[in-house]
Amino acid sequence: MSLPQFKLLRPRTLADAIGHLDKHASNLRVIAGGTDLIPSMRQKLFEPEFVLDLRHIPELKGIHERQESGVEVGALTSLTDIEHSALLRRRYPVLTEAAATVASPVIRNMGTIGGNICLDTRCLWYNQSLTWRKGCGFCIKKDGDLCHVAPGGTKCWAAFSGDTPPALLCLNADVEIVGPAGSRRIPLREFYTGLGDNYRTIQPNELLTRVFLPESSADYSGVYRKLRIRGSIDYPLAGVAVVMKRSNGHIADARVALTAVNPAPVLVKGASERLAGKVMDEALAEAVGDLAARTAKPLTTSALTPEYRREMIRVFTKRAVLAAAAN
Amino acid sequence: MKKELIGLTVNGRSHELAIEPSKLLLDALRENLGLTGSKRGCDDSSCGACTVQIDGVPMLSCTMLAASCEGQEITTVEGVSEHGSLAAIQKAYGDWGGSQCGYCMPGFMMTVKHLLAQNPNPTEEEIRQGLSSNLCRCTGYSQMYQAIRAAIEAEQKGMAAAK
Amino acid sequence: MTNDFSIIGKPIAMVDAAGKTTGSGKYADDLSAPGMLVGKILHSPFPHARIKRIDITRAEKLDGVVAVVIGTDAPNPYGILPVGHDEYALALDKVRYVGDNVACVAAIDEATAEKALELIDVEYEVLPAYFDPEDSMKAETNLIHDNKPHNIEKDYHHVFGDPEKGFAEADQIAEARFIANEVTHAAMEPHCTLAAFEIDPQTGKPGRLVVQSSTQVPYYLQHKLSLVLEMPMSQIRVIKPLVGGGFGGKSEVIPLEIIAAIAARKAKAPVKVTYTREEVFWAHRGRPRTIVDLKTGIKKDGRITAVKARVVQDGGAYCSYGVVTILYSGALLGALYDIPNIQYDGYRVLTNKPVCGAMRGHGTVNVRFAFESQLDELAAKIGKDPADVREINLLKPPCITVNGLRVRSYGLPECIEKVVDRSGWKQRKGKLPRGRGLGIACSHYVSGAANSIIRSDMPHSTVNIKIDRDGGVVVYTGASDIGQGSDTMVAQIAAETLGCSLSRVKVVAADTDLTPIDIGSYSSRVTFMNGNATLKAVQDVKKQIASAAARKMSCEPQELTFRNDIVTKKKGHVGADAPVRPAEQSSAASVSGRVEGQILRGSLQQKRKDEGPKDSLSFEEAVVAAIDFHGALSGTGSYAPPLEARGGKHKGAGVGPSPAYSYSAQVAEVSVDEETGEVTVHKVWASHDCGRALNPVSVEGQIIGSVWMGMGQALTEEMVWKDGMLMNPGLLEYRSPSSVESPEVEAIIVESIDPEGPFGAKECSEGSLAATIPAIGNAIYDAVGVRLHESPFTPERVLAALRAKKNAKPINLTEGVDPTAPAKFREHGGSLWYRGKGPERHPLDPSRREAPGAAGGDD
Repeated sequence: MSLPQFKLLRPRTLADAIGHLDKHASNLRVIAGGTDLIPSMRQKLFEPEFVLDLRHIPELKGIHERQESGVEVGALTSLTDIEHSALLRRRYPVLTEAAATVASPVIRNMGTIGGNICLDTRCLWYNQSLTWRKGCGFCIKKDGDLCHVAPGGTKCWAAFSGDTPPALLCLNADVEIVGPAGSRRIPLREFYTGLGDNYRTIQPNELLTRVFLPESSADYSGVYRKLRIRGSIDYPLAGVAVVMKRSNGHIADARVALTAVNPAPVLVKGASERLAGKVMDEALAEAVGDLAARTAKPLTTSALTPEYRREMIRVFTKRAVLAAAAN
Repeated sequence: MKKELIGLTVNGRSHELAIEPSKLLLDALRENLGLTGSKRGCDDSSCGACTVQIDGVPMLSCTMLAASCEGQEITTVEGVSEHGSLAAIQKAYGDWGGSQCGYCMPGFMMTVKHLLAQNPNPTEEEIRQGLSSNLCRCTGYSQMYQAIRAAIEAEQKGMAAAK
Repeated sequence: MTNDFSIIGKPIAMVDAAGKTTGSGKYADDLSAPGMLVGKILHSPFPHARIKRIDITRAEKLDGVVAVVIGTDAPNPYGILPVGHDEYALALDKVRYVGDNVACVAAIDEATAEKALELIDVEYEVLPAYFDPEDSMKAETNLIHDNKPHNIEKDYHHVFGDPEKGFAEADQIAEARFIANEVTHAAMEPHCTLAAFEIDPQTGKPGRLVVQSSTQVPYYLQHKLSLVLEMPMSQIRVIKPLVGGGFGGKSEVIPLEIIAAIAARKAKAPVKVTYTREEVFWAHRGRPRTIVDLKTGIKKDGRITAVKARVVQDGGAYCSYGVVTILYSGALLGALYDIPNIQYDGYRVLTNKPVCGAMRGHGTVNVRFAFESQLDELAAKIGKDPADVREINLLKPPCITVNGLRVRSYGLPECIEKVVDRSGWKQRKGKLPRGRGLGIACSHYVSGAANSIIRSDMPHSTVNIKIDRDGGVVVYTGASDIGQGSDTMVAQIAAETLGCSLSRVKVVAADTDLTPIDIGSYSSRVTFMNGNATLKAVQDVKKQIASAAARKMSCEPQELTFRNDIVTKKKGHVGADAPVRPAEQSSAASVSGRVEGQILRGSLQQKRKDEGPKDSLSFEEAVVAAIDFHGALSGTGSYAPPLEARGGKHKGAGVGPSPAYSYSAQVAEVSVDEETGEVTVHKVWASHDCGRALNPVSVEGQIIGSVWMGMGQALTEEMVWKDGMLMNPGLLEYRSPSSVESPEVEAIIVESIDPEGPFGAKECSEGSLAATIPAIGNAIYDAVGVRLHESPFTPERVLAALRAKKNAKPINLTEGVDPTAPAKFREHGGSLWYRGKGPERHPLDPSRREAPGAAGGDD
């Protein structure tokens, strides 16, 4: 499967990159690690005229502690660097744990945190070759008007399957978005639309440049649990991130977020409220698991049945909450 | 699409290639440079048979644009053997049955070399994790662990002998 | 037979190992030819359709396209079995699965060829399709092949002994439906073929065809190319480069191999076709989804009284090896245990899906899963240790089983004993903490089929040997090394027999111009058959060397010992048996095989001449003496299985018989997470009777690899279908295990020294696979008390079974959640991923239990 033909733009500075975006946004894809875009381009899911290669923009790389205001992570920072960052491991353990589960070590060497946040939503009816998709008559996300997992509807249910975003949601992370009109900073949860097809709020001429981890969620204990069939390589089939702060044996603050079971990574509704001020026990964990299972809306977008994946959201959440409380 | 002139440094040698910007590094290595050691085993970046090192870090050459690697040091399986002889890890893989059909070998050589460079004495669990980017369909990986242990021992003996 | 070998039985690196670890070895896709074009194949988007019209003119006009070929360019049917010539290189009138081959473009590069595929206009008339074998068997109209009523490729009905009487005698009977879902080889190397025509200097026109292909059987490929291209076999040369794994997936002629040749013919240029991974899945030829309705009777003392099996295989759209597969499934119910009464009803059914064929453990694996699981259940019913039950039912060889299989060497008792011992079975079984368990199972496999699929009197293997004055030994063998190490096996046998160093031996293999016909690398036949042919060929030349050397040494040929590159006179020599060599000879001779050999040899010979009377000759001196005496030194050997090993007389009796069977016993230790259904395999103890381990490191590698592949089928691997669409045609979604979840496998070699195997060797590459699946299933039962009837044992299936057992809240874990699931997409094929009609589950499957309320966990 060959790649479609395109012009490769290789800026050395962010400003140059934005310049390219300004000119060619309508027909351009951004590439960083390439682990998402390259296979998709080979499947002819994208056939852009321009590809903007961010690999050689040093200013977008690195993990920096900012006085009194948490940590900034450049969007081009590799998942391996995040996994091995002593600073992040100490202050935001949920993020390093989630990063360490992404695909395989080699993919993590290539993949970036920005790419993981921007990861295209996935579906068995979508992530297939052009020839294959012809065989199913295409789908609503690409070239078709039919959804094969929730037919009759006009909504795309492709599942967001990044591992780090639920951790970042738990950490109340913000992201910086830069475009020709300047830069803006938004909470990560506003980055996603909740739709399977147009899953991001970012404009075509904008770039995700930095991730901000607030000081206020530093030093929370954190746990990420991922359902996968193999111990490596696989995307999550369901994922749960939990962060928790305790004082005097009580839960002072906690958040729970899910991935791979909805078109966007989502915070579990009501989980923080349910946990706040409580002492952790099995029943509480189970109650939060139930909340999580209610938030999860898995469909037949991936391996394993939706019911099983939803059930695992319940079990994994319970376990993650207990583990976070035990940390 | 018009070809562009790209400079690639592979196994310490510099090359100038005229390639399309959409050319994957794997194809540039195999087709333009005749370095057919790196293999294509899948089309969805899952198998690891094409793994090369870019500036010492293992990456998938089937998922990397060749033009994007300009200015970086690329090492392929062809760059592993030392002074015309097998490197300790290559010898050990042969001796211990770490390779059967051999198709995944070029990728494993790259990840194992990296693993041992980062961690000269890995635990069993670290070896497992270290090999988990590459699929092998023949060996069940077990004999690879023995090979890696043997290579570590050989290296240590070699170093002791050199002292 | 002496065990005092110098090369046999020693762990050695494969002779081609360095090419693999350095990347210098060439696989088919690494090859190129001047002017080579890239071929790309257009595949059918429909599971079943008539081709009304194909228009290739737009594609042909695209700049860079050299040729476009379609079915009419090579309309002769072919197939691997003489009874199954139902395939066309490219579809003639009908397509029969999504992915069937319609046209091929040869163009200057891949991108151009892919673009041209989009320009081929095909008009289809879509036909009703069949996806579930049990549905398909009811078909009256729109048959997949017109000459196969009810879409049944072949059915066999065998009765051996008196099953009814056997069941009447039984104290306990178990009966259940088992389903093993479809798996595929997933060899790391995607298939690739480079085809080129040579120009005949006499006519100046294209003459001989040279095909380099990733094949396990060059001879069959040559044969089928001849058939389809209407060329004499002598005008076709098939060369096998390094092959990146086969497991059966390259053991028959795969469409691209013929398509590349047709395209090269039309394009008048070399054409290389390399499958994408998706195309590999469509080419498939893997293990069919198999429904096994199994009934077994047992007495209280543990004796099996009767077995009745009804087996339905979902074979896909063409015959392939199907007839053989369905016969193996029945035949290999015998030859493992002593079963006095067997009834077997096997149905090989056609469906509109990619073609199933031979895969590691061909035909036996899924039935063995059912049988060994049921035996475990029966052991529990009669209150006996499942290991003991297996020992109670051992055969007593030499014997002929009820279904006509001749069993001689039989290491199964020792296999069971070893795994029971090493795993601590007696102390630990049933005493592990909850959620952790041990399971045992056995399996066996043929060492090649005693009857060739192409009926003829030709030998199954022939090997030639040439030795020249340089002392180099060249072995010409048709055996195909696909990573299992057959080149190394051949070199070892030659070197051991000739008493020369391994480095002297050069193996030339699998090139139809150079090597004699061998029927290929499949059904684990190579060591046994090609090894025997090699042995005979080497003995042939050895005799010639011995007679000449004996003359030189004034003794009888039988007085000579060949060892360590020296030919020694046995009698009257110090230390008669083990040849003792003076130290300086030893060092000189050991160097002589290397680079400086030529020079040293001369001086060594000179030195020898001065020494006077000869009690020993160097290998090279002996060779020179033989050539001087005989005029040339070459030998040949061939092998055909003995008549008495070729089985009974009933219809279908030709499949199953083998000159020797390998035996395996395994214990698996697993733990099961009862909340998630996830199964972890901690360790597998795997003993395997391989007759003799010619190269223990390779034998262990084959055992471990088989067990590991069995574990994949047991836990993670499954081809998932929806309306003929393969939902996971890639290595990301078809989950071949990674190193993380791959358990430790302790390989235990058992050597029964087969009386007919080369040095006593027999099969070691496939037999272990079948035991792993039931061993894991039985261990799950031991751990948490649920019996899995359907593989793979995915967490959802395990959890569904656990919940049913506990009468827990019946959330229906194995059916779809979406209430608006489309009627348009009919469900089939064993997948649990999708809601809908789905294949009929076996009655014992706990997931069948209907929820009292609405399905799904939406609470």
